[in-house]
Amino acid sequence: MNTATILLIERGIIKLLKNPTAPIMGFGMSLFFLLVYNAGIGGIGSMEAFGTGGYLSFVFPITIISLAMGSSAGAGQTLNADMQSGYFKRLYLSPAPRWILVVAPMLADTVSSMVFTILLIVIGAIFGVSFQFGFISVLGIQLLSFLWSLTLCGFSAGIMLRTGQHQTAAIVTNAVFPLLFLSTTFLPRELITANWLLTVSWGNPVTYILEGNRYLLGGTSSANFFYIGLLIFAITSIVSVIFALTSANKIKV
Amino acid sequence: MTAEIQIHELFKKYPNGTEAIKGISLEIQKGQFFTLLGPNGAGKSTLVKILTTLINKDSGDFSISGINPEMNQSEIQKIIGVASQDNEIDPTEKVENLLIFQGRLFGLTKTEAAKRTNELIQLFELEKERNKKASVLSGGNKRRLHCALALVHRPCILFLDEPTVGMDPVARANFWEVITQMNSRETVTIFLTTQYLDEADRHASEMALIVDGVIQYSGTIIDFKKKVNPNSELSLDESYLQYIKALSNQELTKN
Repeated sequence: MNTATILLIERGIIKLLKNPTAPIMGFGMSLFFLLVYNAGIGGIGSMEAFGTGGYLSFVFPITIISLAMGSSAGAGQTLNADMQSGYFKRLYLSPAPRWILVVAPMLADTVSSMVFTILLIVIGAIFGVSFQFGFISVLGIQLLSFLWSLTLCGFSAGIMLRTGQHQTAAIVTNAVFPLLFLSTTFLPRELITANWLLTVSWGNPVTYILEGNRYLLGGTSSANFFYIGLLIFAITSIVSVIFALTSANKIKV
Repeated sequence: MTAEIQIHELFKKYPNGTEAIKGISLEIQKGQFFTLLGPNGAGKSTLVKILTTLINKDSGDFSISGINPEMNQSEIQKIIGVASQDNEIDPTEKVENLLIFQGRLFGLTKTEAAKRTNELIQLFELEKERNKKASVLSGGNKRRLHCALALVHRPCILFLDEPTVGMDPVARANFWEVITQMNSRETVTIFLTTQYLDEADRHASEMALIVDGVIQYSGTIIDFKKKVNPNSELSLDESYLQYIKALSNQELTKN
C-alpha cells in the first residue's frame, strides 16, 4: 500500500471522527433496539425457542445489523462533500490510484462500523449476551458485520456517485429497512405463524446474517446459516465494491 | 528533440453530440510559456482536461515529457500541476494542513511538506491565514491557496486554466511573479488558458488560437500580431479581436 493510499484512508477516518453523525446515529439506533426491545418483550425469552441465551442474545444481532444501516451513508456523504467543494478533482489529479478515492471513505466507514460493533459487543456482554464459542463467536460476528457494512457502504457510495445527490446515500438504508421486518428479526422461525412470512424470510438475505449471528451467540440456529450468510455477504460485498468503483467512472470532473 | 507536450490529431466528442476538439495537433517545447486562446466554448478547457487526464480523448495521440498520460496517470500527475478555473479546496481544513496534506500525497516527507508549505505560505502571502479554515478565507485568498496547492510538488509543467479569475490586482501581480520566476529560473513549462489577454501578452511567448474546436493559429505571439496587422503594432487583445472578427466575417460570407 503506497503512502498516498494510506493518507487517503487516514483522511477518511479523520473526516468521520470530525463528523461522526452517521456512526453515532447507527450506534444510537442499535442501543435503542438492544435496551428497549429487551425491556419491553424480553420476558418471552424464557420460552424454549429462544434457547439458553434468552431474548437479549436473540435480539442482539439486530443491533449489529442496524449499526451498519445507520452508518453506511457516511462514505457517500464524504464523497459528496468533496465533490461539492471541488476537492475531489484535486485528489483526482494526485498520484494516488483513483479507485482509492472511492474505496478510502468506504473503508473508513467500515472501520468505524467495526469499532462500534466491538463497543456493542462489550455492552452486550455486560448486559448478559451469551457468546457460544467465546472469542471465536466475537470474530465471527465481526466478520459478518464487516461484510454487511461493506455491502451497504459500497451501494450507498455508488448510488451517490451516480446521482450526485447526497440525499441518495440514505437510499440503501431505506431499501434495506423493510427487509428487517420480513425476517426472523423479532421472533424465532418456530413462533412465526404466517406461512408467507416464513417463505419470504428464506429468500431474505437479512435472515442469514441474523441466524448466522444467533448460531454464534445463543446457538439457536444451525451453523449452515452462518456459512451461507458468509457466502452471501462476501458476494454482495464484492458486487457493491465493484458497483462503487464503476460508479466512480461516471463522475464528471 | 521531443517536445514537452506533443498533441497529434486529437478528437473529443461529448455524449450530447458536441464536438469539442476536432483534430488538434500542437507541440510545446520544454520551458515555453504557452497560452491557448479562444472564445468561450472553443474547446480550451476540454483540451486541458484531456491533457491532465481528467477526461478521455476519443482519438488521436498525446504525450507529456515523452510519457503517455493515459497509460501512466500516476507518473504524469507527479510532473504536472493544475490550477483550474474553480477553487478545489476542502473548506473544512486549515490552510496549512491542506498544503501539507497535498505535499504528502505527492510523496514529500512530513518535514519536506512542512518546509514547502512555509515557502508557499510566504510566497502567496497567506501567513495570517495559515491556521484558518479554508471556508472562512476571502475569495482572493481562496484563489491564492488554490494556486499554491498546484505548486506544492514543484511540477515541471503547469496547466493554468483561467487561474487569476477572482484575484485582486495585487494577488494577480504576485501570482504572475511566482509563475514567471518558475518559468525562467526553473524552466517550468507553462500551459495557460485565459480570457485576460493582457496577462497572456505580458507573460507568454507562444500561443495557439482555438475556435470551435479547431486550431486557427499556432506560433509566437509576435508573429500572430504581425499576421493580423503587419503595419502597426497592436496589443494581443486588439489583434485577437481583429482576428476573431475576420473569422466571423469569413463564416458569414461562406454561409
